[in-house]
Amino acid sequence: MLFWSIAIAITAIACAALFYAAGRRVNAAMPQTEDANSHFRLVLAGIDADLAAGKLGEGEAQAAKGELAREILRLKAEAGPAITSAKGLGQAPLLIGLAGVAAVALGLYAALGSPNLPSQPLASRPELAAQSIDLEDAITRIESQLTANPDDLRGWTVIAPAYLELARYGDAARAYRRIIELSGPTADLQTSLAEALMLAADGAGSPEAMRLLRAAAASDPTHVLSRLYIAAELTRAEDYPAAASAWQEALALSRGGEPWLPAAQQGLAVAQNGGVAPANEAESAAIAQMVSGLAERLSSDGGNVEEWTQLIRAYLVLGETDSAQAAYDDAVTAYPQAFDRGEMDTLALGAGLTLNGVEP
Amino acid sequence: MAAGDGNAVSIELGHFALILAFAIAAVSTVGGYTYWRSGQRIALVLSQGAVLQFVLVAVAFAALIQAFVTSDFSLLLAVNNSHSLKPLIFKISGVWGNHEGSLVLWIFILVSFGAMVAAFGRRLPDDLLALVLATQSLLTAAFSGFTLFTSNPFERVFPAPMQGNDLNPVLQDIGLAIHPPLLYAGYVGFSICFSFAIAALISGRIDQAWARWVRPWTMLSWIFLTLGIAMGSYWAYYELGWGGWWFWDPVENASFMPWLAGTALLHSALVMEKRNALKIWTIFLSIITFSLSLLGTFLVRSGILTSVHTFASDPTRGMVILALLALVIGGAFALFAFRASSLRQGGLFAPVSREGALILNNLFLATAVGAVLVGTLYPLLLDALTGTTISVGAPFFDLTFGALMAPLLLVLPFGPLLAWKRADVIGAAQRLIGAAALAIFATILISALGGVSISLAPLGLLLGFWVAFGAIAELVDRSRLGKIPLRESWRRLVGLPRTAFSTALAHFGMGVTVLGIVATTAWETELVTTLNPGETAELSGYVVAFDDFQQVPGPNYLSDEGHFTVTAPDGGTRQMLADRRTYVASGMPTTEAAIETYGFSQLYLQLGEPLDDTHVVRIWHKPYITLIWLGAILMALAGVVSLTDRKLRVGAPQRARKPVASPAE
Repeated sequence: MLFWSIAIAITAIACAALFYAAGRRVNAAMPQTEDANSHFRLVLAGIDADLAAGKLGEGEAQAAKGELAREILRLKAEAGPAITSAKGLGQAPLLIGLAGVAAVALGLYAALGSPNLPSQPLASRPELAAQSIDLEDAITRIESQLTANPDDLRGWTVIAPAYLELARYGDAARAYRRIIELSGPTADLQTSLAEALMLAADGAGSPEAMRLLRAAAASDPTHVLSRLYIAAELTRAEDYPAAASAWQEALALSRGGEPWLPAAQQGLAVAQNGGVAPANEAESAAIAQMVSGLAERLSSDGGNVEEWTQLIRAYLVLGETDSAQAAYDDAVTAYPQAFDRGEMDTLALGAGLTLNGVEP
Repeated sequence: MAAGDGNAVSIELGHFALILAFAIAAVSTVGGYTYWRSGQRIALVLSQGAVLQFVLVAVAFAALIQAFVTSDFSLLLAVNNSHSLKPLIFKISGVWGNHEGSLVLWIFILVSFGAMVAAFGRRLPDDLLALVLATQSLLTAAFSGFTLFTSNPFERVFPAPMQGNDLNPVLQDIGLAIHPPLLYAGYVGFSICFSFAIAALISGRIDQAWARWVRPWTMLSWIFLTLGIAMGSYWAYYELGWGGWWFWDPVENASFMPWLAGTALLHSALVMEKRNALKIWTIFLSIITFSLSLLGTFLVRSGILTSVHTFASDPTRGMVILALLALVIGGAFALFAFRASSLRQGGLFAPVSREGALILNNLFLATAVGAVLVGTLYPLLLDALTGTTISVGAPFFDLTFGALMAPLLLVLPFGPLLAWKRADVIGAAQRLIGAAALAIFATILISALGGVSISLAPLGLLLGFWVAFGAIAELVDRSRLGKIPLRESWRRLVGLPRTAFSTALAHFGMGVTVLGIVATTAWETELVTTLNPGETAELSGYVVAFDDFQQVPGPNYLSDEGHFTVTAPDGGTRQMLADRRTYVASGMPTTEAAIETYGFSQLYLQLGEPLDDTHVVRIWHKPYITLIWLGAILMALAGVVSLTDRKLRVGAPQRARKPVASPAE
């Protein structure tokens, strides 16, 4: 509303200025030839000045004045009938014109503008700006250090996860590669490098990523993350027998209660069922109960972003888009800053949910 | 406007301001062309409209700048072309370092000129003023409409990303802050001449007062364009690392064609103002010059020049551009064809006269424009129509353009010495004997010193000296130096009108540029060699010692620095630093050449790519190369001198007094 009142006020001021300008009385009697006359006066003065300064001879000055006189005579003869037509600019066309200005401006803006979208200078997005700028700043500083000293292991170790955080997966991969070069491979480093490579390829696993993950899994028999990635990649690649055994291998390392456990169990079920989520009624009921429990808890007690994201994802998996939308809207109310929501927005956008009342 | 609260909606306010300016311009166009005969009210309304357009576009432009400066990434343009860590100056210049923003800059300059006409044009006849402002409004409406509908800079993003994509590192140079605004001021300034020409064609009235009005605008635009082109040339020279100062690149030609036409227009308007002759030429050149400016802007802006296919990939934008060009240029020429014959011919003159000489000048310059136009557009058309890619390169332009310019330069010194109406060539020739003798002497001297390596070079030099000394000859002649006592001569010289000095200075500057071009083309020497630190190379008497090679990190790049010590032929030594930068973010390499100026000459040193542990080093000695740009600066300076001439200064106080005194009249 604020914007529209300002816009209408500006339009009104502009139209008033135009209307007022038409009403001004300025030397209405000024003849059309006025400008030409003043020009000739200047030329005449110039000739006299040149004569006085000795730049022109008497004869030259006379000749110049003669020519000037002929030009003035010619113009007078030509001026004859007044050019101004009888038809003046009346009040009606003026008002129609002003109405046209207002209609075109406001109408066009309504079509093109985004009146409800406030400006968002970086400085006034404090909590997110602070994080981002500091991180960016730090990265820039570390980058220039690393440019000068590419063997700085600590620098690479700090910057690699920061790159991941900022979704600069290519840079992250480069950084992890460097760390492995400098400090030798570990299961964690190889997994991180593979993760960066897969994220850079939009989630697709490359032969190199798989090689790294297998190396990580082989070097550390208790390494869970690499096994989870291998299983997920095999599932994605629709190699279900291998995937099933990979999920089982990962599940065998579980001590119970790990956050990845449900996902791994689900993955195993999918792999065993040939890529389709099993339609086990009892299981579905259990899931539905779990989801509704989570939804209740979140709506009464609130929760963190991860929990909201989990709920939305659950609804999406169950195919309940409306509930997912409702959960997303509640989450947005709880976390109005886009930066806090992070992954949740990506998920919602990917699932075709409506973001903040705006169709994606 | 709307302080405080307004900040929250400043981007949208800027958007609305641009739309309101478009609405006012559109209605002004219709109203102006309908009611231009109706007297004073329409002129007053249109003047007010022109001022409002200026204020509103200024608000829009300021809103964009504010969004860039505050890194507001809810603006798509800022996301695509800015970064929160970019230095302030590049945040601001980033506003026009892209298609959409540069259109806004273009429109802003357009409405600035329109507002100036409205502010200073109170004394113009009402119908002329109404038509001029209606035409300016037509241009504003066309371009702001094009911007809003096909290239809207106020496009928003939701949710806003946290960071922008930054500007191309090569454009993060002070050149981007200066070069485009200068060039655009030149291009767009010619719109005033265009509008005046259209007004004259529609009203059928054109006289000396009209020419007196048009000339300062022409001059102002020409000064901006001259400086813009010279600045662009020097930027290319130091940034691209090849040491070339002119490439006959289509983008360069696009700015050079309006300059050639504008130069002819300048001379035509002069004749019209003084003698009421060459009316049709002046009108024609006004239209041609601005049309070439438009063509230039759009050839560059549409991306048609880098590739015909990028143009085709955005058919909407491309078609709108074509329609706009057709409307403005086609409409203007149709009007010209229809109405030009009705314009009354002015003062008569004999073929051999100052007027005749200036017609010759116009013919040569117009033909040169034609040659450059053909060379620039022919490959594009051929590619678009048949898919054949040909390259019209420097040899074509050097030959045709040189062949056209040589005779023009040859007769140039005669022009100012010829009398108006009927002149005496023999008399003028006699008065140029001194200049000719001096030019021949200087050429022989320089050729002997420089060693003649190219047969055409002495002729080129002779031409340059002839133009430069010939320009001075007019001043010598008019002060009767040597014919009357020295004191008397001096008195006459200082008493000469500013225009005489302006003419002489401009033509002298032209001669200086020609000398620079000839000398550097003929005697440039180049050495490409591999050097290791500790080794030396010699070129044209300069001994270049490669002292040291270091890798040094910069703020956002890694720099390979070569440190050199240069011993000049006179024994003096200077340090030079050439580097190659690799930008960390984009991995893009740039070369930063080392340039040392010795007198008017320069030593240009470029560190090439590393080659098996040694370094490729390119060394050029460019004799008198700075004269090329110094000449251009002299020409622009001459324009400034002309603008301060008495005729315009006398007019100023009257204009200022008018609004106060008028109610009493």
